[in-house]
Amino acid sequence: MNISAIAMFFVFVIITLGITWWAAKHTKTRSDFYAAGRSIGGLQNGLAIAGDFMSAATFLGVTALVYSTGMDGMLFVIGGTIGWAVVLLLVAERLRNLGQYTFSDVVAFRLERKPVRVMSAIGTLAVAIPYLLAQMVGAGALIQSLFHLPYNLAVVLVGVLMTLYVTLGGMLATTWIQTIKAVLLLTGGTIISVGVMAMLNFDFAALVTAAVDVHPKGSAIMAPGVLFTDPITIISIGLAFVFGTAGLPHVLMRFFTVPDARQARRSVAYAIGFIGYFQSLIFIIGLGAVVYVSNNPEFLTADGGLIGGSNMAAIHLSKVIGGDLFLGFISAVAFATILAVVSGLTLSAAAAVSHDLYANVICDGDSDRKTELRISRITTLVIGLTTMALAILLEGENVAVLALIALAIAASVNFPVMFLSMYWSRFTTRGALAGGYSGLATALVLVMLGPTVWVSLLGFEKPVYPYAYPTLFAMLANLICAYWFSVSDKSQRALAEAESFAAQWIQSEIGPVQEKL
Amino acid sequence: MLSPTNKKIQTNKNFHKLVSLRRRVSWSFLLVLLGSYLTYGLLSAYFPSFLARPVFSDGIVPVGIAMGYAILALTFILTLIYIWIANRYFEPLERKIIAELER
Repeated sequence: MNISAIAMFFVFVIITLGITWWAAKHTKTRSDFYAAGRSIGGLQNGLAIAGDFMSAATFLGVTALVYSTGMDGMLFVIGGTIGWAVVLLLVAERLRNLGQYTFSDVVAFRLERKPVRVMSAIGTLAVAIPYLLAQMVGAGALIQSLFHLPYNLAVVLVGVLMTLYVTLGGMLATTWIQTIKAVLLLTGGTIISVGVMAMLNFDFAALVTAAVDVHPKGSAIMAPGVLFTDPITIISIGLAFVFGTAGLPHVLMRFFTVPDARQARRSVAYAIGFIGYFQSLIFIIGLGAVVYVSNNPEFLTADGGLIGGSNMAAIHLSKVIGGDLFLGFISAVAFATILAVVSGLTLSAAAAVSHDLYANVICDGDSDRKTELRISRITTLVIGLTTMALAILLEGENVAVLALIALAIAASVNFPVMFLSMYWSRFTTRGALAGGYSGLATALVLVMLGPTVWVSLLGFEKPVYPYAYPTLFAMLANLICAYWFSVSDKSQRALAEAESFAAQWIQSEIGPVQEKL
Repeated sequence: MLSPTNKKIQTNKNFHKLVSLRRRVSWSFLLVLLGSYLTYGLLSAYFPSFLARPVFSDGIVPVGIAMGYAILALTFILTLIYIWIANRYFEPLERKIIAELER
């Protein structure tokens, strides 16, 4: 039992509950609950965006990937940063100029509100729920090995805290928790990397040499192709990062917490700085773990694997760097990371139900504020209880497939639909629905028929679809259907939609100007 | 169909300047970044041995890692340039457009 880890985590929980209590007093309107009253500045929002993206999956998962495969991890390191350039250059300003609380606002700007809202809400939930579940199951296992708590208790702890943060404190509490966690994670990552480099006299070449010497695959880790060899897989991973990032609903929601498009632009620029910096540390941490953890019997099981699995590489390395005290700090940071990310995801799922489905589809855009917020809170509670129950049922299962589904759907459903609605004047409601649903169906079917579900879970001998990642084909399905069903749409509605593009285009470029006059 | 304000914006010279400048900057930066990532991806699929070669003939750090860090640095630099262009050109243009609408 690591006392310092528990103490530090306890301090984090006390502080975040304090923030939630403070935020609850300032959360009265819809704009408070969904968008923190649009009061967040560019720098803080940049940190919070970075926090949303730097999940335990990045910190522990990509480190583990570099630890076990070396250069193949580079594909993730670059992709995780470059996706943000897409957000900066194509999405951020327009999103803020056109929307209110969720990205569905943008899609529904000139298309027929009800059907496209339903589809975007499904797209949001199809990303948020599997991603949330993947994080919860991972969290349970991680906390089990870090804090020696029983798995079920760990899941319940995460679920209860997340539900408290979101129902009481809304976006304001979620943003502050995310900000604090981002600072902690950046600090922790910096200390580990500096520690590794200090032991090697700050010589990067020495790190590479030492890693090649120690790693069982030897010089193969300094070449691509240990894990990913075929072009379809590599392109699918690339596409999932480059366009999936701009389709993550909980990240997109963050752009509505700033006052205007200018601050939205600055937030992404700051976020790119923090994320790029962190991604470049990941590679050092992964190689550092090869050098200092993989040959240290203290961290190895009898058959030569890492205690707690390869996801623990960064955690074990922190013990080498700074002993039990620093191990405690990094463990607490990992726990905080999970809590902050699941809170953001839950909030975006709740907003999809209360803002998109209840307020705009059921109430036709004319909902009572109190009822809408109550529905949002009830949804949060339901999501909290459901994911806790599911996470307990899924104990010990391989949940990598869930994270895979989430990013693939973000790239092949949400992003193309949002992008086309922003940039293509002839995009119609019919095209949006055909594209969105075909992207969703293709992604789901290909994952089911792929090696992860068809072979590993269902036990068939050969996968029907040979690749683990569905993004390339699912995105193509969406784009082809969206194009074909839009250009062939000769209805009155389609004509009116094409005509109202001009007004949307002007507002996307310069914002709601009428308000400024 | 357009509101009177929107009609005025649509015919505003500075609005056209803003739109075309932003379009040129965003798409060219995007092309450079996605192109470099695609190059890296294709190299790792078809010419893995090239990425495995050391950068310098007597060196240790392989091309793939140097290239990865170079792409990260490029992303940083283009982001900074984009923000600089936004501060220097987009924002004054936006202010001008608003001022001309108020007249």
